[in-house]
Amino acid sequence: MIEVQDLTKVFRKPVRGSGLSGMVKTLFSRKYDEIRAVDGISFTVPDGEIVGYIGANGAGKSTTIKMMCGILTPTSGSVRIDGVEPYRKRRQVAQNIGVVFGQKTQLWWDIPLVESFKVLKEIYQISDADYAGRMAFLGEVLDITRFLSQPVRTLSLGERMRADLAASMLHNPRILFLDEPTIGMDVLVKEKIRQAIHALNRTYGTTVVLTTHDMTDIEDLCSRIILLEKGAILYDGPLKSLKNRFGNLKTLTLTVPAEIRAETAPRLSPELAISEEDGRLVLRFDADRLPLEQVIQYAFRELRAMDMKIAEISVGDVVKTILEQQEAEHAETI
Amino acid sequence: MLKRYKPFLRAGAMDTLAFRFNILMWALITVCEVACLVFLWLAVYRSSVDGMDAVIHGFSFREMISYVVLTTVFGFVTFNNSTLWNINTDIKKGTVGNYLIKPISYRGKFAATSLGSLLTMTALFGLPLYAAALLVLSGLGFLPDLAFPGFFAHLGLFLLSGLCASLLNDTISYVFGVLCFYTSSGWGLNSLKETLISFLSGTLLPLAFFPAGLRDVLSWMPFAGMSQDPVLILMMKYDLATSLRCVAVSAAWIVALELFAKGLFSRAVRKVTVQGG
Repeated sequence: MIEVQDLTKVFRKPVRGSGLSGMVKTLFSRKYDEIRAVDGISFTVPDGEIVGYIGANGAGKSTTIKMMCGILTPTSGSVRIDGVEPYRKRRQVAQNIGVVFGQKTQLWWDIPLVESFKVLKEIYQISDADYAGRMAFLGEVLDITRFLSQPVRTLSLGERMRADLAASMLHNPRILFLDEPTIGMDVLVKEKIRQAIHALNRTYGTTVVLTTHDMTDIEDLCSRIILLEKGAILYDGPLKSLKNRFGNLKTLTLTVPAEIRAETAPRLSPELAISEEDGRLVLRFDADRLPLEQVIQYAFRELRAMDMKIAEISVGDVVKTILEQQEAEHAETI
Repeated sequence: MLKRYKPFLRAGAMDTLAFRFNILMWALITVCEVACLVFLWLAVYRSSVDGMDAVIHGFSFREMISYVVLTTVFGFVTFNNSTLWNINTDIKKGTVGNYLIKPISYRGKFAATSLGSLLTMTALFGLPLYAAALLVLSGLGFLPDLAFPGFFAHLGLFLLSGLCASLLNDTISYVFGVLCFYTSSGWGLNSLKETLISFLSGTLLPLAFFPAGLRDVLSWMPFAGMSQDPVLILMMKYDLATSLRCVAVSAAWIVALELFAKGLFSRAVRKVTVQGG
């Protein structure tokens, strides 16, 4: 179980003057800017849950992850992993967590992959039987057996990431922190990584906290989402209610005869927005207020639709809307 | 618990063997250096009042040459850790985080690596080189008769003080390395460390040549135990009691410095700001 209480991290950054005179001045007097990367957040993650931790670049996601795994010490507030603060009892917590930073490898660059695993086996004191079992499981779900004997530097990005994931799961951690595990991966590798996370969660009941910019990851994996913006939590709850935050939004894309245009089409209700995209009509509406059935009938009868596609609003659209609203509010207060 | 550090011990040993070219270059440079020092001391002794029979600050010419040769070999075998540089790289590249999330201590990792390196160097180069140097030097009459069995006690204490010297060097490197958390750059700190050690440990010049007051202070500092004392123990210039005292002082400093390093690290690690990502 992860308990985060009023967690805050303030970075102090020296303000450097520009040009030579500025640099000389900074040598003698230092002024610091304070940046509140994480600003008083609280949440709890129960065992076995997969949580998506999302937000724009610089929202404070990585900083939170680094505090949860004990690399960074909070300025105030606390993190407890099964009751223990990771930055105080680093080694004790490290035995029970696995961490992957998508942008940095933790494998030893010059030695064959399998040797890296053997080093980890010793560091985490994994028994021979557990090691064999875990390697078989991970070799299958992550498909890494083929390149075990290659030095890590010769692996492709996708192979390396799978190897990194396997390395973080080798000691069967109770909690897995994944900071952008699918960054720069092609669709097939992404798919494989998601399956592996699912398999691990089902097989061992591993808790997973995952940051990503890929909304497909979120829709595929996470039952719960925490949305972070400027160091504060904007939303924490099930994926479903985030989707419905702006109502049960649906989009109908219609292929219609050429003479039906968005401007001139007969209106059904002011609740229904009509626009044109690539020669097709696009209808947007809240299905809770305007029944879907009614809109479909209208589309066939009034707009003489020949083909139609119904889509729900995506998480990406919702997140985008929320962040845009925040931005707008922020601009107004200034 | 110590089993967790086995891979690092092994890595230290393997890294040492990986740099054959470095070792070759070192041998070449060292022969030249030792030759220069021999001529330097030759000039010093020749121009002294008593000529070549002079005993300067307790060193005859022959003892001085033995001292120069043995400190050089000792330095090569004992001081080959890259702890400071590795910490510096970890901080610059942000890889320090990789170790902070593993169930091992950062200090222990480096201690194990350095120990692996020391054991390999001692077995592969140390023992043959010490044996060759001792045989040649005593054959030439540069060293007093290596009277057995008394010599074995000195040899044992020498190996022990060599281990202490290596640990001291590694701990000091580690302390300076941890200071990189504050400076974000290891270059200046490394120069400072190297200069301090080569000057205060008697590698450059035996401490007997220093003013009396400074000499007394330095005999209680950790530096003499890193070069001068082990060599003088081996040369049997120290009696057993003095030798034991030297090893005890070194051991006490190791404990003190490790405790200091622990405190420093737990403060410094709060300053970690892994950049980017």
